[in-house]
Amino acid sequence: MAALLEIRDISKAFGGIQALDGVDVAIDAPGIYGLIGPNGAGKTTLFDVVCGRQVADRGEVRAEGRAVGRLSPDRLARLGFARTFQECRVFPDETCLDNVLFGAQDKRLGLEWRQLLTRGIGARSARRDEAMRLLTLVRLDAYADRPAAALSYGQRRLLEIVSTLIARPRFLLLDEPASGINPTLLNVLHDFLLKMYEERPIVFLVVEHNMPFIMSLASHIVVMHQGRVLTTGSPADIQRDPAVIDAYLG
Amino acid sequence: MTALTTVRTGRLAIAIIAILALAAPFLLADQPYFLHVLILTMTFAIPAIGLNLLLGYTGLVSLGHMGFAGVGAYTTALLMMDHGWSAVPAMAAGAAAAGALGVLIGIPCLRLRSHFFIIVTLAVGMILFALFNNLDGITGGAEGLPGVPRPGPLDLGFMVIDFRRLGGFYWFALVVTLFALLVQYLIVRSDFGRSLAAIRQDEILAAARGVNVFAHKLAIFGISTALAGLGGALKVMFLRVAAPLSFELLESINLVLLTIVGGAGYLAGPIIGALVYVAIPEILRFADAWRLVLFGVILVAMTLFAPRGLSGMIEAGWRRLRRGPAVTGEEAADGRPA
Repeated sequence: MAALLEIRDISKAFGGIQALDGVDVAIDAPGIYGLIGPNGAGKTTLFDVVCGRQVADRGEVRAEGRAVGRLSPDRLARLGFARTFQECRVFPDETCLDNVLFGAQDKRLGLEWRQLLTRGIGARSARRDEAMRLLTLVRLDAYADRPAAALSYGQRRLLEIVSTLIARPRFLLLDEPASGINPTLLNVLHDFLLKMYEERPIVFLVVEHNMPFIMSLASHIVVMHQGRVLTTGSPADIQRDPAVIDAYLG
Repeated sequence: MTALTTVRTGRLAIAIIAILALAAPFLLADQPYFLHVLILTMTFAIPAIGLNLLLGYTGLVSLGHMGFAGVGAYTTALLMMDHGWSAVPAMAAGAAAAGALGVLIGIPCLRLRSHFFIIVTLAVGMILFALFNNLDGITGGAEGLPGVPRPGPLDLGFMVIDFRRLGGFYWFALVVTLFALLVQYLIVRSDFGRSLAAIRQDEILAAARGVNVFAHKLAIFGISTALAGLGGALKVMFLRVAAPLSFELLESINLVLLTIVGGAGYLAGPIIGALVYVAIPEILRFADAWRLVLFGVILVAMTLFAPRGLSGMIEAGWRRLRRGPAVTGEEAADGRPA
């Protein structure tokens, strides 16, 4: 049976810098997978390749046996790939609720035109209750009608994650979700992600530098170093691995 | 003032404006000059509605939009004058021609970064003007095509509307403008409009959420240029001549200006902008040679004191009336600055 997500021999260079150098990762079952490594290890570049923002120089990405490495970000999104960004991206002019509902909206141009001409309610309106439930879980329900620009950085991170989850993705890639979040909200985020995984077991791939956070969240860890996969294993094994301690955990 | 009272006041204001707009030919029966100015305003407002969808809602700047208005104008004029088409099908064909040209130009150009795209639209506007001005056999060259007919009379049973007269043509222009406003309203309040707003705010995020950015940009560019063509068609029918100077580069830049002054990204922005753009120079006629200088000073002042345009200024005032001062401060629960 084909792996859920297979990243095979991916390489990517920017000028003279080899960001990825033959990366192989195979994910056979749903789970929360941590992706760790020092700055410049190639974690975000790998995210960009998997989500179609960058095209690999070599290698391929397969989702459930299908080659997806050359698809555009919007096509990948429609195939069930969702991601957050290292720099945290939300739509600042929209309210928090509209940010989430946009995640639920079916963005195929033909369906949007049909909704326009028939004044149909569309997928987004039907998911309003679910959007409010998700916002409540991350304690943003009180801000539902406020523009996202009025939120703190930490709250925006939570909003970004909620906006991806409502689309019911099959592969969720979170780029440093804990960065810039204070300890109180970090606990909220931790519990929220575990709850979401319990409700819908999918592939979570999480890039993170906050070691206590990722080690308590993930069931598997992939360690990257200098554009390559250094090792993989359970959080306990990774924390004892001398090579990982030497390259990253120090 | 309570919220309910302000909502009722707002609806009452809109109803009064609608009644005044409909009754203008009766109210201004002995003031044909004012009717003339109002119709001229509408001929600018329709291309501005097209540009507003592009600039205000999608974040794309076109500096050659009046060129597309010219395509609609000349197509309509030629179909009516040389082939005997009646007004409405000729206008629809003019809008379709402008929209089709927009799509053809958009296919290679909408993948360009925004500043390159702006330069392309500038060049397209210049090329189209050069064609209007020099294709003497088709466009009549610098003299243009005089004698563009107006729509024939419409018999409603209880009254006959003669569109060849100023009052009748005013209603015709009003219906075309309301159609353009309806198109704008339907797009902005739809899922398609929300995807356009997402592109304006963050193209990378919009794509990651599943928006085909290029297809959406192409679709709205086609609609926007078609609306420009519709406005151009109305203009030549009103002026009864299709002349290249109506569609030159300066007019395109003025269109951007009036869209911004009216409030890009607001439904009423193009109407308010067109009113200001057409009416203020007329009001300033007393200043004689200083008229355009004064107009420039007023525009600079508007840009300084109403950076979101006049619609934004009106909206801010309306919000203050309804809810008190707008919430702008960070009210972060975790205490971090936004």
